[in-house]
Amino acid sequence: MDIMLFGPELFYLGMALVFFCLTLRRQVQVRLDYQIALALSAVGVLVTGLCLFQQGDLFFKAYRVDLFSQIFKFALALGLFLVLTISHNLAAIEERYQAEFYFFLTTTTIGMMMLVSSVELLTIYVALELSSYSLYILVPLRRGDGIDVEAGIKYLFIGAVSSGFMLFGLSYIFGATGSTYLVDILPKMNQLVNSPIGIIGLLLALAGFFFKLSVFPFHFWAPDVYQGGANQVVTFIATASKAAAVALLLRLAVLGHASGYNFTIALVILSVVSMTLGNLVAIVQKDFKRMLAYSSIAHAGVFLMGVLTITEAGYIGVIYYALAYLVMNFTVFMVLSEVAADGRDLQISELAGLYRRSPLLSMSLILGIFALAGVPPSIGFTGKLLIFTSAMNAGYFWLVVIGAVNGTICLYYYLKVLYAAYFIDDPGLPVITLSLPMRLLNYALAAIIIGFGFCPDRIVELAKAAAKAVL
Amino acid sequence: MVFSDPILLGCLLTVFLPLSAFALIMIFTRDNPKLSLAISLVAATIPLIIAWTFFFKLGGRAPIIYNFDWMVSDLVKVPFGFLLDPTSLVMFVIVATISWLVQVYSIGYMAGDPGFGRYYADLSLFALAMLTLVISSGLLQLYIAWELVGLASYLLIGFWYEKFSASEAGKKAFVVTRFGDIGFFMGLVFLVIFYGSLDIATVNSAAVANSMPPWLITTSGLLIFCGVMGKSAQFPLHVWLPDAMEGPTPVSALLHSATMVAAGVFLMTRIFPFFAASATTMTVILAISTLTLILSSTIALAATDIKQVWAYSTVSQLGFMAMGLAAAALASGTLFAGYYHLTTHAAFKALLFLCSGVFIHHFGTNDFFTMATQGGRKLVIPMACITIAALALAGIFPFAGFFSKELILTALAHLDNKLWLVLGLFGAFLTAYYSFRVIFVMLFPKSPEAYSKVPGHIAHVEDEAHGHGAHGHADDAHGHGHDEHHGVPWVMIFPLLVLASFTLILGFCQDYLEKLLLGASHPHAMNYFLLVAAVGCALSGIALAWLDWGRKDAKCVGFISRFPALQTFFIQKWYMDHFWRWFLNRFIYGIFSKWFTYNDRRVVDGGVDAVAFSTVGSGRLLSFIQTAFLQYNLLFMVVVLAGVGIYLMMGR
Repeated sequence: MDIMLFGPELFYLGMALVFFCLTLRRQVQVRLDYQIALALSAVGVLVTGLCLFQQGDLFFKAYRVDLFSQIFKFALALGLFLVLTISHNLAAIEERYQAEFYFFLTTTTIGMMMLVSSVELLTIYVALELSSYSLYILVPLRRGDGIDVEAGIKYLFIGAVSSGFMLFGLSYIFGATGSTYLVDILPKMNQLVNSPIGIIGLLLALAGFFFKLSVFPFHFWAPDVYQGGANQVVTFIATASKAAAVALLLRLAVLGHASGYNFTIALVILSVVSMTLGNLVAIVQKDFKRMLAYSSIAHAGVFLMGVLTITEAGYIGVIYYALAYLVMNFTVFMVLSEVAADGRDLQISELAGLYRRSPLLSMSLILGIFALAGVPPSIGFTGKLLIFTSAMNAGYFWLVVIGAVNGTICLYYYLKVLYAAYFIDDPGLPVITLSLPMRLLNYALAAIIIGFGFCPDRIVELAKAAAKAVL
Repeated sequence: MVFSDPILLGCLLTVFLPLSAFALIMIFTRDNPKLSLAISLVAATIPLIIAWTFFFKLGGRAPIIYNFDWMVSDLVKVPFGFLLDPTSLVMFVIVATISWLVQVYSIGYMAGDPGFGRYYADLSLFALAMLTLVISSGLLQLYIAWELVGLASYLLIGFWYEKFSASEAGKKAFVVTRFGDIGFFMGLVFLVIFYGSLDIATVNSAAVANSMPPWLITTSGLLIFCGVMGKSAQFPLHVWLPDAMEGPTPVSALLHSATMVAAGVFLMTRIFPFFAASATTMTVILAISTLTLILSSTIALAATDIKQVWAYSTVSQLGFMAMGLAAAALASGTLFAGYYHLTTHAAFKALLFLCSGVFIHHFGTNDFFTMATQGGRKLVIPMACITIAALALAGIFPFAGFFSKELILTALAHLDNKLWLVLGLFGAFLTAYYSFRVIFVMLFPKSPEAYSKVPGHIAHVEDEAHGHGAHGHADDAHGHGHDEHHGVPWVMIFPLLVLASFTLILGFCQDYLEKLLLGASHPHAMNYFLLVAAVGCALSGIALAWLDWGRKDAKCVGFISRFPALQTFFIQKWYMDHFWRWFLNRFIYGIFSKWFTYNDRRVVDGGVDAVAFSTVGSGRLLSFIQTAFLQYNLLFMVVVLAGVGIYLMMGR
C-alpha cells in the first residue's frame, strides 16, 4: 500500500496532467476550465483529508508521511481550493493563459506537498525548486504594463540568490556530517552547531525558507510581488506558500536545538527586525496588497518567534498559527479580490463605504483584519497567544515584549483599513453583489475565524500530535 | 457526556436556545415577523418546560452543581457552570414562566410594529441573560449575565428609538445601573483578591463558617449591594426605573417589574448567608430600602400615568423585599420572607402591567383618568384582573400579596427597633392607597371635568400631545376605534388569566415553597396584633382612596392636596432628578470630566500623537530601504547575512 501514502501527490499530479491537456486546446473555454479546476481541487481537499492519518516512509526514507506532513498537505489543498474559489473572475490574466494558471498552481502545490514530506536535503531542495519555479512563472502571468515583469524578475533573482545560499548551507551540513538524511544529521548536529561550519551551514540552509516566508533580509521581493502579481496568485503566495515554508522551517530548525544561545539569538534578531520593519513600513502604504506584503513580513517575525523556541509548545503555536494565518489572510485577500473584480490593484481608499456596498464582505474584512491583528476571540488571537506564551516560557521575555509592542503598532494600519471601509463613504463607488457560493464562503470563513478562536482545542490537539512527529 | 446527563442538557438548552434565537433573528429573519416569532417562541417554550420539570423533579434534592473551567490562572480559577438549588429553581420558574407569558402577550400587543422581529430578538437576548443569571454557579458569570440583562433592558427601553424620550430613557437606565455595577464589580474584585473564589456555594459556606475576615464581608457586601441598588432601583439610583416605562408595556411587565429588577433582590437571596454575615451591611440595606419604600410610595400617590404608578410601586415593593431580607438577616431569620414576596410580586406586578397594557393598547394613552372617562371598565376581564392584582398589591386576604407582606412585616417585627415596623406599615398603607386610587378611578369614572383639577392630568382632548405615544406605532397600525370594545385578542387575555390564577393560588403555596426553599416549613405563630395592624393599614388605605376617588361625590383631588408643598414635592419626585442633574453638572462634568478631558487632550493624546508621528516617520524612513534597484537589495541581503554570520563567529 505504499502507493496510497503518495495519494495526495498522485492526485495533484493527475490534476496537473488534466490541466496540461487543457492548455493544449485551440479554443479557450474559460468557464469549463474553471469548473473543472474547482471540482478537482475540492476532491483534492477530500483526498488529503482522507489521507490525514497516514503514516509511513517512501523513496528510501527520503520522504516521510506523518501527521505533521499530512496536516500541512491538507492546508495546502485547502489553500489551493480557496484560491480557486476566488478565481471565478480572472480578469487580470489573459484568457488564453488561464489554463496555464491552473496548471502552474497545481504544480506548485505538488512541489509544496512534497516539500513538507521531505526529510532528506536533496529532496527538500528539489521540491522547493519545483514549487518556486511555478510561482516564478505565475507572477508575471498577469496582463499588465510591465510592473508584473519587474515583480517576476525580482522574485526570480532574490529566490535564486536565496537558493544559492541554501545550497551552500546544505553543502556545509552534508560536508560536516556526511549524510543528507535529517535522521542521520540530527544526532551529529548536536556537537556541530557549536562549530562555525555547523552554525553557518544551518543558518544558510534556512535561507531558502526565510525567502519564502519573507523574513528580513529576504523580504525585498514581497512588496513588489504582492503588488505586481495577479490578485489570485498573490493570494496563493500569501497563504499556502507560507504554510509550506513554515512547515519546513519547523523541520530544519530542530537541527539547531542543541546550539544554545548563539543560533537562537540570530533568529531572535531576524524575528525582531522582521516584525518591526514590516509593521513600521506597512503604516505608510497606500496600496492594499503592498500593505499586506509588509504585514506578511511582520507575521514572518511572529512565526520565527515560535520556531526559535524549539519547544513543543512553540511548535504547536506555530502549526496552529500557520493554519490560522492561511484562513485569515485568505479572508482578507478574498475581500480584496472581490472588491477589485476587474483585477486591478486595490488602494486602501477604494474600500470606502464597503459597509454599505457589501455588508457581508465588510464583515469578513473586519473579521480577517481583526484576526490578523490578533484581536480576541479570533483564531489570530489564539495563535498569537500560543506563540507568545511559548516564547515567554522559553525565556524570551524581551522578544515577547517587542512582539506585543509590534502587536500595537500593527493595529494602526489594520484599523486604517477598517476606517476606510466603515467611516468613509464614497457614493460614487458601486454596490458589490456576491453570488450564493461566495456568500456561503463568507459565512464559512467567519464561522472558522470565530469558532476555532473560541474552541481551539481540537486543532491544538492535532498540532500537538503533529509537533511530536518533528521534534 | 452532555447527552447522557439530562439535567446538564437542560441547563445548556436553557442558555443556548435563546442565544441562538437571538442570533438567528438578528442575522436572518429580522424582517420576517412570523418566522421570528416562531423561533423566539420555541426558544422560550422549551426553557419553560425545562424549568417546571426541574422545579418538580429537583425541588427537594441537594444542590446540583456543574462547573467548567473558563479562565485559569495561577491564583484564580474562574469556572462557568450551573447551580441548581431551590433558590435558583424558584427564580428559574418565575423567569421562564413570565418571560413566556409576555412573549405570548406581545403577539397581540406588538402586532404590526415595524420592529416586531427585533423586539423578539431582544426578548430572546433578555431570556438568555436572565436565565443564565439565575442558574449561574459563580459570581463572575452572574455578573456577566447581569450586564447582559442590562444591555437587553437598554435595547428594549429604547425600542422605539426614533422617539427621543425613549432613547434618552434607555441611556439613562444603562448609565445609572452602570453606576451601581461599578460597585458590584469592585466588590467582586475585593472578593477575588482577598478571598480567592467567586463560587457562590463556596462564598456562602465560607461566610457561614466565619472563614472570611469580617471587614471583607462588610466591604464587599456593601459594594455588591451597590449593584443591587442600581438593578433593583433602590434610592438613590431608583431614578432610571420610572423612565424605563418608555419601553413597550410587556417589556415593563417582564423586565421592569417582575424579573430583571428583581435580579438585585435575587442576588441578595443568592448570597444571603454572605450578606447576613455582616450586621453593618444589613443595617445599611435596611435603611436604604426603607427610605426607598417611603419615597416611591409617596411619589406614586401623585402620578397620573398608570405605568408611572406601577413603576414607583415596583420600586417600593423591591424596597420592601430588601427590607424583609435585611430584617431577617439582622434577626437571624431566613431569606424566605423576602424571597416569597419576590415570587408573589412577580405574579401580581406582571399582571398589573399586562392589564395596563391592554388599556394602553386600547385607548392609546397612559393617563388612567383619560382611560376611565373613555370607558376603561367596559373591558371586563382586564378590569377584573387588574383589580385582583391591586388587591394582592395592597395585601388583602386571600390574595398572594397578603401572605408575603405579612411575612415581611413579621420579620420587621422581630427587630428591636420598632420604627422599621411602623415605617413598613406606613408603606403598606400608602401602597393600598395609591393602587386603589387607580382602581377606583377606573371602576367609578366621573365626568372628565371632575378630573381637571388633578395635577399632571391633562384632559384627553390633548391626548396626542400628552399620551407619550407610548404605543403610537401599533395604535396607528390597527387603529382601534373607541367603540370597538371587543377587540382585545385572546393572546393578550390568556396571560392575564394565567397570572391572575397565580395571584390567587400563590398565597396558599406558602408552606410548600418554604419547605422547598428551607428544607423545612416552620409553623408560624400568628401574631394577631400584626395581622390586625397590617390588614388595618391596607383597608384604611383603600378606604381613604374610596373617600378621595371612589364614592359618588368624591372630590377627586386626593388627600395630599391639603398639603400643597408636599404634593409638589411628590410630583417633582422628591427632586431626585433635579439632584442628579445638579450632581452631574457640578461634579461629573464640572470637575471630573473637565480635568480628565484636559489630561486626555494634553497629556495622553499629546503623548500618543508623538508616538504615532514618530512611528509613522520611522516607517517612512525605513521604506527607503525598499528601492527598485535589485542589485542593492541583493547586496543588502548578503551584507546582513554576513553580519549575522560574523556575529555568530564573534559571539562564540
